[in-house]
Amino acid sequence: MMLKQALLPAAALACVVAALPSIADDLPLKSGSTRFAVIGDMGTGGRPQYQVAEEMEQFRRKTAFDFVLTLGDNIYGGNGPADLKRKFEDPYKPLLDAGVKFYASLGNHDDPNERFYKPFNMDEKRYYSFKKGNAEFFALDSNYMTPEQISWLDKALHDSGARWKICYFHHPLYDDARYHGPDTDLRARLEPILVAGGVQVVLSGHEHIYERLQPHKGINYFVLGNSGELRDHNLRRSADTAKGFDTDRDFMIMEIAGDQLFFQTISRVGETVDSGIIEGPGK
Amino acid sequence: MKAAAAMLIAGAVWAQADSLPANKDAAIITEFQKRVDDYLKLRKDIEAKSGKLKASSSQEKISYQARGLRHKVREARENAREGEVFTPDVSAEIRRLIGLAMQAGNATHVRQSLRHSEPVQLHLKVNDKYPEQVPLQTTPPTLLENLPKLPPEIEYRITGRDLVLLDAKVNLIIDVIRGVFG
Repeated sequence: MMLKQALLPAAALACVVAALPSIADDLPLKSGSTRFAVIGDMGTGGRPQYQVAEEMEQFRRKTAFDFVLTLGDNIYGGNGPADLKRKFEDPYKPLLDAGVKFYASLGNHDDPNERFYKPFNMDEKRYYSFKKGNAEFFALDSNYMTPEQISWLDKALHDSGARWKICYFHHPLYDDARYHGPDTDLRARLEPILVAGGVQVVLSGHEHIYERLQPHKGINYFVLGNSGELRDHNLRRSADTAKGFDTDRDFMIMEIAGDQLFFQTISRVGETVDSGIIEGPGK
Repeated sequence: MKAAAAMLIAGAVWAQADSLPANKDAAIITEFQKRVDDYLKLRKDIEAKSGKLKASSSQEKISYQARGLRHKVREARENAREGEVFTPDVSAEIRRLIGLAMQAGNATHVRQSLRHSEPVQLHLKVNDKYPEQVPLQTTPPTLLENLPKLPPEIEYRITGRDLVLLDAKVNLIIDVIRGVFG
C-alpha cells in the first residue's frame, strides 16, 4: 500500500464540489470535451431497458457521446448467447452501430466470464483502467475486492497523471436506498485509497434507484442502478441525499471539459431529472 | 551467570511454545495452497489441450468453451470428495481466521456487508456448477484480507452458511466448508 491513512491529499482538497442543479441541460457540448454515458443494472431484456436505450440514442445524436460506462448487472439471469443478444446487443444496437464503445464493470448478477466478451472492452480483466482526454477511468470488481485489487488500484491511482480520476463499480459505498444499503466493509477498505488517490467521482449501481449524494471527503458519489431494473419509491432521502429519483428508469451523460465535469441524468421518457457541474481539481 | 542462563533457557522454551502453533498454522495453509495449486494445474492442463478461453465477440463461443472446459474438469475430478481441499485441519484454520476477521473493529462492517450483499441460500456440492440464475454474494474484503491467498480465478464464495471454493473461470465448485456462517 502506498498510502493508507485517510488524509485528504491536495488534489482532492482542491476539488471543491459545486454541483449546481438545473444548469446543464444538454450539457455545454464544448469542443474537444470528453463525453460519455452511464448505465447500471440494465440487463433485464425488458421493455423499459429498450426504452432507456432508445432515449440514449436520441441523446447520442444530440450530444455525440462516444462511450458508455456500465455499473454492473449487465446481464440478469443467465449468460447464454440469446441472453447477450436480448439484453445487450439488441437494445443498444443503434449505439453499437454508431461506434459507441461500452466499458463494463461486473455486478453480482454477472458471470465473471463477461470479461471475455469483446463488446464489453474489459480486455479479459475483472478490473482495469483506461484513459480518455484528461480523464482516467478505473473499473473495479466490487463483488470480489481482493487485497491484490486494492493494491493495484492504489498504485494505478498514484501513477495516474490524469486531471480527472473516475472510479466505477457495482456496490455503492454510500446510498440511502431501503433495499440493500451501502457496503460498509467495502467502504472501510476502499475509501481511504480513493481519497488518497485523488478520485473526484465514484459511480455505482446495485440499488435500483438514482441518487446523487453530498460529497464525502472530496468525492462525489452517484448511484445509478435503474437503467433497466427499478425499485419504485425505494429511496429514503436523508441529509446525505443531494438529489434522488426512484419512480422511473434513467441514464446519465457526463461531459468533461477542462476543469469542469457536467452531468445530466435523463429519465426513460427524456426528462432531465438531475444536472449540474462538478468543479475539478485545477492545477 | 546461572541466572542469565536460566533466563535464556526460559526464553527459549517460551519462544518455542509460542512458535509451535504458528508453524503448525503455516504448514496447514501451505498444504491447502498446494492442493489448490494441484487443482489449478489439472484445470490448466485440460485447458491447454482443449483450447484456452479467449476474448471473443461471440458469446456463443465463450459459453461453449467454458461449458466444455467445466465438463472436462468435472470428468477428471469425478471421484473428488468434500474435504479433500478443505481438509479438516484447513477447515478449522479457515474458521479460526474468519472468526478473527469478524472480531473487534471489523465485526460491524463485515456483518453489515454480509447482510447487505444479497445473501443467497444454496446447498452446493463438490463438482456442482454455481447456478447461473443466482447472484453471487459479495465476499467482504476484510475476510479476503484474512484468508489464505488464492490464485486468480479461484475464489472464496459464501452460499448461505457455507463457504465454497469456486473456480470462477469454469464456474465449478472445488470444495465446501459447511456451516461457517452462523
